[in-house]
Amino acid sequence: MPLEPDTLTPLLIDFPFEWNYIRSIIYVSLYVSLTAVVLSTLFSLPVALLVGFKDFRGKTLLTSIINTGMGFPSVVVGLVVLFAVSNQGPLGSFDLVFTTEAMIMSQFILAAPVITGVSLAAVSSVEQNVRDAAYAMGGTKTDVALVTIKEARYGIATAVLAGFGRAISEVGSVLIVGGNIASSDGTSVTRTITTAIQLEARQGRFETAMILGAILVVLVLIVNAIVVRLGNGGGGGRYE
Amino acid sequence: MTLEAIDVHHGYGTETVFEGVSLSVSPGEVVAIIGPSGVGKSTLLRLLALFDAPNRGSIEYENQAVWDVSEQRRLEYRRRIGMVFQEASLFDASVRRNAEYGLRVRRSWTDRLRHELSSLVGKTNGTGDAIDALETVGLREQADQDASSLSGGEAQRVAFARALAYEPDILLLDEPTSDLDPRNTAVIEDAILEARRRGIGVVIATHDMHQAERIADRVAVLLGNDIIEVGNTETVFENPTDERTRKFIEGELIY
Ligand SMILES: Nc1ncnc2c1ncn2[C@@H]1O[C@H](COP(=O)(O)OP(=O)(O)OP(=O)(O)O)[C@@H](O)[C@H]1O
Ligand SMILES: [Mg+2]
Repeated sequence: MPLEPDTLTPLLIDFPFEWNYIRSIIYVSLYVSLTAVVLSTLFSLPVALLVGFKDFRGKTLLTSIINTGMGFPSVVVGLVVLFAVSNQGPLGSFDLVFTTEAMIMSQFILAAPVITGVSLAAVSSVEQNVRDAAYAMGGTKTDVALVTIKEARYGIATAVLAGFGRAISEVGSVLIVGGNIASSDGTSVTRTITTAIQLEARQGRFETAMILGAILVVLVLIVNAIVVRLGNGGGGGRYE
Repeated sequence: MTLEAIDVHHGYGTETVFEGVSLSVSPGEVVAIIGPSGVGKSTLLRLLALFDAPNRGSIEYENQAVWDVSEQRRLEYRRRIGMVFQEASLFDASVRRNAEYGLRVRRSWTDRLRHELSSLVGKTNGTGDAIDALETVGLREQADQDASSLSGGEAQRVAFARALAYEPDILLLDEPTSDLDPRNTAVIEDAILEARRRGIGVVIATHDMHQAERIADRVAVLLGNDIIEVGNTETVFENPTDERTRKFIEGELIY
């Protein structure tokens, strides 16, 4: 694709970077992190409900795994995933080294404990009275779980955003499993905002690095602003 | 449509709560359970609501032991029973959605999805039965308010309406008015009598002897691990057969 920086940035200062490049990096970042967060949420919510309301063997172990996982170093996760998808690893036959799929896997592992942990706190704070009421009115166990999720919706949304915040801003695992690759036409294959910043800065292209940094900060600020708003009980929005 | 506890033994861990409790409720009657705090009134109501199986003895609905049937069958039984707790425990949603909950869970998943979608595009014309139930407790006008904006008394009235909306055969009430002022208590008591008029069988646990006298057809006295006396209200209050009943009632009436 030919680059036309002049038509794309007529109003701004003439930045010496390529818009298509930036755009493809943002796209890869969002694609990887959002997919990982959606998958983590689908996994984490049932786990949080299970840990919150069921008694089973190994529950304390699972809880401490979740808590440890919330602060787990991302490079180590990257290392383990890279090994898993490498030729020597169990997933070697799928040919996933330096792919977005491998990046989604490692971000899933990073985001899931965060989303599970914060959701667990949220669903645990739903009163047993309210769950009993749903059951007493003829709800099934599934109905009671749905009521619990609905009651904890602000906390769960906070959990999802916190998971996204961790995924989008981490650099260690995506660098290792993704390899920070750009294609010959100058667009990102497995390069994310964070890994691009790392590379651009090291090569002295500070403008590009700064722009990417600013975009990342804005993304994270937006997410945090939403988290704070949700923390205030949904910002007074009426539920229906 | 009689719901019965038959020779029920129950407890928590090593603690015994019941040793052979029996109680029945039939359509169109109000049965009050009275007894000191901690004696097991809530426990008995939860057993009758099919929350837990008794350790021994049986719970029967229309002479069918409900714990001998499949979970699916038991769900059908559960869905003919309504329960109101001491705390309103409303959902964080509108009054209307609270009142409709019982009806909603009885729909098929496709129906529920369709209703949710049409309420998203603004067509929230509620189910008639839920609105009728709100009318019974005088809160029809509040249907579109947030449940969290209600006073404690109003919230409890919604909790009552919510259990009435799906027209259960049996209504179990666990001290439904113990936190309420006289006016809200009167609204609930009127609604209980209205439910009885419609043929619903009501069991109410209460600390309030006067309330039992006002609304109950029969009274069961729970003391120790047993129901020591059960009979029609006047007899139990005026001429109890058990000396402990007289002492308990006199003691309670002092307050
Ligand atoms: N979930 C539970 N686990 C263990 N013990 C329980 C549980 N629920 C109730 N109990 C015990 O069982 C006994 C009966 O309790 P219950 O709540 O049924 O009494 P109650 O008559 O409803 O009392 P109150 O009038 O104060 O509401 C009490 O000793 C109580 O401590
Ligand atoms: Mg009680």
